[in-house]
Amino acid sequence: MTEVNLGEEIVFWISGGLAVLGALGMILSKKAVHSALWVALTMINLAILYIANSAPFLGMVQVIVYTGAVMMLFLFVLMVVGVDSSDSLIETLKGQRLVSIVLAIGLAILLIAGVGAGLTDVVPVGLEEANGVDGGNVEGIARLLFTDYLIAFEVTSALLITAALGAMVLAHRERWLPRASQAELSRSRFLGAGHPGNLPSSGTYARHNAVDTPALLPDGSPSELSIPGPLVARGDVRPIDHHDVDQIESLGGGTK
Amino acid sequence: MNILAAVGIEVPFTLPIVDYNAIAPLLILLGAGVVSVLVEAMLPRGSRRFIQLFIVFGALVAALAWIFTITGVRVITAEGAIAIDGPALVMQGAILVLAILGALLMAERSIDPSGDAFAARASALPGSEDEKQFTARGYLQTEVWPLFLFAVSGMVLFVSANDLLLMFVALEVMSLPLYLLAGMARRRRLLSQEAALKYFLLGAFSSAFFIYGVALVYGYAASTQLPAIASVLTAKPGQTSLALIGMALILVGLLFKVAAVPFHQWTPDVYQGAPTAVTGFMAATVKIAAFGALMRVLYVAFGGMRWDWVPMMWIIAILTMLVGSIIAISQSDIKRMLAYSSIAQAGFILVGVIAASPAGLAGALFYLIAYGFTTIGAFAVISMVRDESGEATNLSKWAGLGRKSPFVGSVFALFMLALAGIPLTSGFIGKFSVFAAAIASGDTWLVIVAVVASIIAAFFYVRVIVVMFFTEPGPQTASVEVPSVFTTIALAAGATVTLVLGILPQPVLELVSNADLFIR
Amino acid sequence: MNVYTPILVLGILAFAFAVFSVAAATFTGPKRYNRAKYDAYECGIEPTPQPVGGGRFPVKYYLTAMLFIVFDIEIVFLYPWAVAFDRLAIFGLIEMLVFIITVLVVYAYVWRRRGLEWD
Repeated sequence: MTEVNLGEEIVFWISGGLAVLGALGMILSKKAVHSALWVALTMINLAILYIANSAPFLGMVQVIVYTGAVMMLFLFVLMVVGVDSSDSLIETLKGQRLVSIVLAIGLAILLIAGVGAGLTDVVPVGLEEANGVDGGNVEGIARLLFTDYLIAFEVTSALLITAALGAMVLAHRERWLPRASQAELSRSRFLGAGHPGNLPSSGTYARHNAVDTPALLPDGSPSELSIPGPLVARGDVRPIDHHDVDQIESLGGGTK
Repeated sequence: MNILAAVGIEVPFTLPIVDYNAIAPLLILLGAGVVSVLVEAMLPRGSRRFIQLFIVFGALVAALAWIFTITGVRVITAEGAIAIDGPALVMQGAILVLAILGALLMAERSIDPSGDAFAARASALPGSEDEKQFTARGYLQTEVWPLFLFAVSGMVLFVSANDLLLMFVALEVMSLPLYLLAGMARRRRLLSQEAALKYFLLGAFSSAFFIYGVALVYGYAASTQLPAIASVLTAKPGQTSLALIGMALILVGLLFKVAAVPFHQWTPDVYQGAPTAVTGFMAATVKIAAFGALMRVLYVAFGGMRWDWVPMMWIIAILTMLVGSIIAISQSDIKRMLAYSSIAQAGFILVGVIAASPAGLAGALFYLIAYGFTTIGAFAVISMVRDESGEATNLSKWAGLGRKSPFVGSVFALFMLALAGIPLTSGFIGKFSVFAAAIASGDTWLVIVAVVASIIAAFFYVRVIVVMFFTEPGPQTASVEVPSVFTTIALAAGATVTLVLGILPQPVLELVSNADLFIR
Repeated sequence: MNVYTPILVLGILAFAFAVFSVAAATFTGPKRYNRAKYDAYECGIEPTPQPVGGGRFPVKYYLTAMLFIVFDIEIVFLYPWAVAFDRLAIFGLIEMLVFIITVLVVYAYVWRRRGLEWD
């Protein structure tokens, strides 16, 4: 057993406290995205604790994989599924929730008791001996990776290929028409029913320049061309604040 | 810690010794998979299918041929991570042969008027303009071929993995492509996508159990290699609680893959939703791979804890046989019925696993091979029975099919009889050898339950035959499309092997009994 | 005191500096607010309201996420290899090249099939 020195103790109390804070924040925040960010805090602090405990590989992987990849995937899944979508509280199978809670508690008791019993009489070897074989934690992992687990390591590349291939197959939208060139686009804009010049920008003569605020035509009516179609379809167009418009006109002394 | 001193050691590591000859089939398949991805990347759309088929069949045949040259090899290689032994070679060979049949089904393009069994573009929204355009232009999703090759390599590695961590990687290499393939059906796409999602979520969940179990077993034995775990178990037999929990969690992951009750919930949905060609391939080969890994883990690593796992496996085997057989009776969809049938069959194979004797191992291997050919043949027939909306999987559409198309009806009847275990079919020999081994090991009561379950199961298999042959064909009766040479070969092979293994099982019985045991 | 103490001190210094800068600006800066100052008119676009139900992002972001993860995992393997590079010698280099090239094959696939283009 090595002694815990002051620096390590300070790191522990700061990082440990922040990790617990992040965990609590994750449970207590109402928005899923906030929860995800709290988890990131917890993960980073766990990484610091790992490094402080002389497990640099674990600490780095914690940052690279968990804080980087897993957290990002969480966020992306939340974004793709919809930030505000919440779980339905209706049970499809009656009593399902109760049964699963009972089973989960049962499994937890079993695991805690079993693992606890399995770990009671264990004598820790100590870091010196574990790291002494190869002269360091990361070196030890490098040796295992390139000897005992060589095949597992190489085959992992098949896993990565499958992941990227699958993402492409499921999520990449291919074109069945070749992409129109700039010349073609321009030609169709002038010859077809399109709008030859730039569309009027949003918010002109109004108080706001946000894309959901229509521009005003000389007669004071909103210009439909100035707002993007999806916003109209979504019903998110902001009504014109005539009080604002009048105020601006009075400031500028202009006429309608 | 003095970092400089640590770096200053500079002793080169001892390099691992890998017997490349013994693992060449795996390397061929993985290499072919990578080349296949490269083909997808570099070649124009029109020429991809032909070259992919060339690569796939070339790689499968080459790997199979290589296995025939190394039949005598019994070696643990790659620093103990891979064990190439008799059972592994038999299962690798069986997986490869069945994969060839599965690839034949997947390559079929004549049955569906608009293309093969897969969506023109899996990323196009079902029912969208994009989907219509891709289909009309005859796009084919040739990415199924690299995925298929990776799935097969995963299986080939899975049955020979001698290390729990490598086994986990192999499990994922096998499963990930299958999750994807299950969601790419050309028809009834929403059903297919739902199946893929369910399969993926439940599969990932069961993988988590597996890897947690590996962690606990490592905590107990300080090694993930199966023989090392066995020797630690003999060295300190007193404090096995970690090993016990770890083993139970590992078994959850493996029993999920063999579709044993209560880890079977995914099976009906996935079998029904996945493209029929993929269902056939998956049903036949994943069963072999998963049972191979299950037996290796139980016999090699936890053979010393036999009295701990046998009671648990008894309960699971009984549940699997009964639940599978009983629920199958109430199914009205032929693919769902075969899914429950595959659950029941997993129960029968578990009987052989529980016997834990050389005869039990040989019986289970024979059963797996017989079941694989029969299943792939049955799904080949299902892919041919169609009406105007695609495959007609509802049993009501099969009424009178045997009279309308006597030949295909008879072949399907043969498969049903084989699955029911009627004499003169491969299913009978399989059941017989498994049950005999179990009785020899003293599991008589288990065999009695198994026989009862077989009788229940025979009911719904025979019911399909009755529906096909003893009802008049009506206007709703589906018709049998004429397939191309691909499906015809797969169907012929399935039917021939089913029949030949029923009449002349001796060569294969000798093959599986001469396969020896798993090496330690 | 061990080797991590300087890192801790650096962290505390960075944190203190950040707090100091923000606090100093709050206390020393002039505060003359009117309505126009709250507008984002000349230094940004006014935010549009989020659609009802939170809004969903297009699934093509998922492809980016997945690619990121693939290369992220690759880095995990690169790290121990780089640390023990000398001792793994030429064998380690070959094995790592095999691994990287294998993963690069799928990168070629994504690139050639226009998975990296955003439209």
